[in-house]
Amino acid sequence: MSLFQTLVPSFARNTPADSNGSRSAVPARKPTYEVKETPESYGLTVQLPGVTKDALELTSENGQFRISARRSWQQPEGWTSVYRESNDAAYELVLTHDNAIDAEKIDAELRDGVLRVSFPKTEAVKPRKIPVA
Amino acid sequence: MHFAAPHGHPPKTLNKTNTTMRIVRYSYPNSRARAFGPAFSRTPWSGFETEIDRLFETALGDFAGNRTDPTGFPVDLFENKDHTHVRAELPGVNRENINVEIVDGFLTITATRKTPAEGDARSENSFPMSRSLELPEEVQADKISAAYENGILTVTLPKREESKPRKISVTVK
Repeated sequence: MSLFQTLVPSFARNTPADSNGSRSAVPARKPTYEVKETPESYGLTVQLPGVTKDALELTSENGQFRISARRSWQQPEGWTSVYRESNDAAYELVLTHDNAIDAEKIDAELRDGVLRVSFPKTEAVKPRKIPVA
Repeated sequence: MHFAAPHGHPPKTLNKTNTTMRIVRYSYPNSRARAFGPAFSRTPWSGFETEIDRLFETALGDFAGNRTDPTGFPVDLFENKDHTHVRAELPGVNRENINVEIVDGFLTITATRKTPAEGDARSENSFPMSRSLELPEEVQADKISAAYENGILTVTLPKREESKPRKISVTVK
């Protein structure tokens, strides 16, 4: 088994909820996301269907940007589930960066289940044109 | 092999231009990292491990229940006494681009996600998605309503009177 875990490292890993310790053993799911780069900033788009603004938590520290979100919808009383494809598990996404972004100016917007975050680059890493004299 | 700078200093300016991959995928600490502490967490193999993980995630995607068909989306079917409810996860779609149809007891949800042109993408990007599911019972097709909230579409379909469970009281003489 240990050899197998060496070959396939993800099987030996903890879920983020476990390794954090403070959270209960609710399994978290990694949402679909996309990172784009422009000369001025990085744009992150995360699909978080069923998440409202109050159930969403964004934290940025030590070069880690963490998104944790839970679904606010619960199956109402009297509803029987006939067929299910979606998952009630919470969302958790952790991205690491090298602090070349301006943490004060991170801008986030949640609309129709899609979270868009823009990370402006710090002045030092922006491309600069140097005029030739 | 590297070139020494004239006064023995490394060429610092070169590092600043390297701006690729600022945001990288988070990789969870593995058993080796827990055993040897944070100093050993970046093993020479860590990049390779990520590659292996990615390979397995792609290969096992079907078994893990992940939807691999990109034109689909997860759909749930619920029932209560008077209604059948269908919930579909459609994040980031405008209401006018969602279409709900009922033909012959099949409910079809069609949606188009439109991403506006920005950055290097010159034209608007449109991505059609569609799901079809058979309804378990007869519904009143003219009384169907749909709501879209937080990226989830909920279609409420009232059941036909005859398909509702009926209580018949029989008087025993």
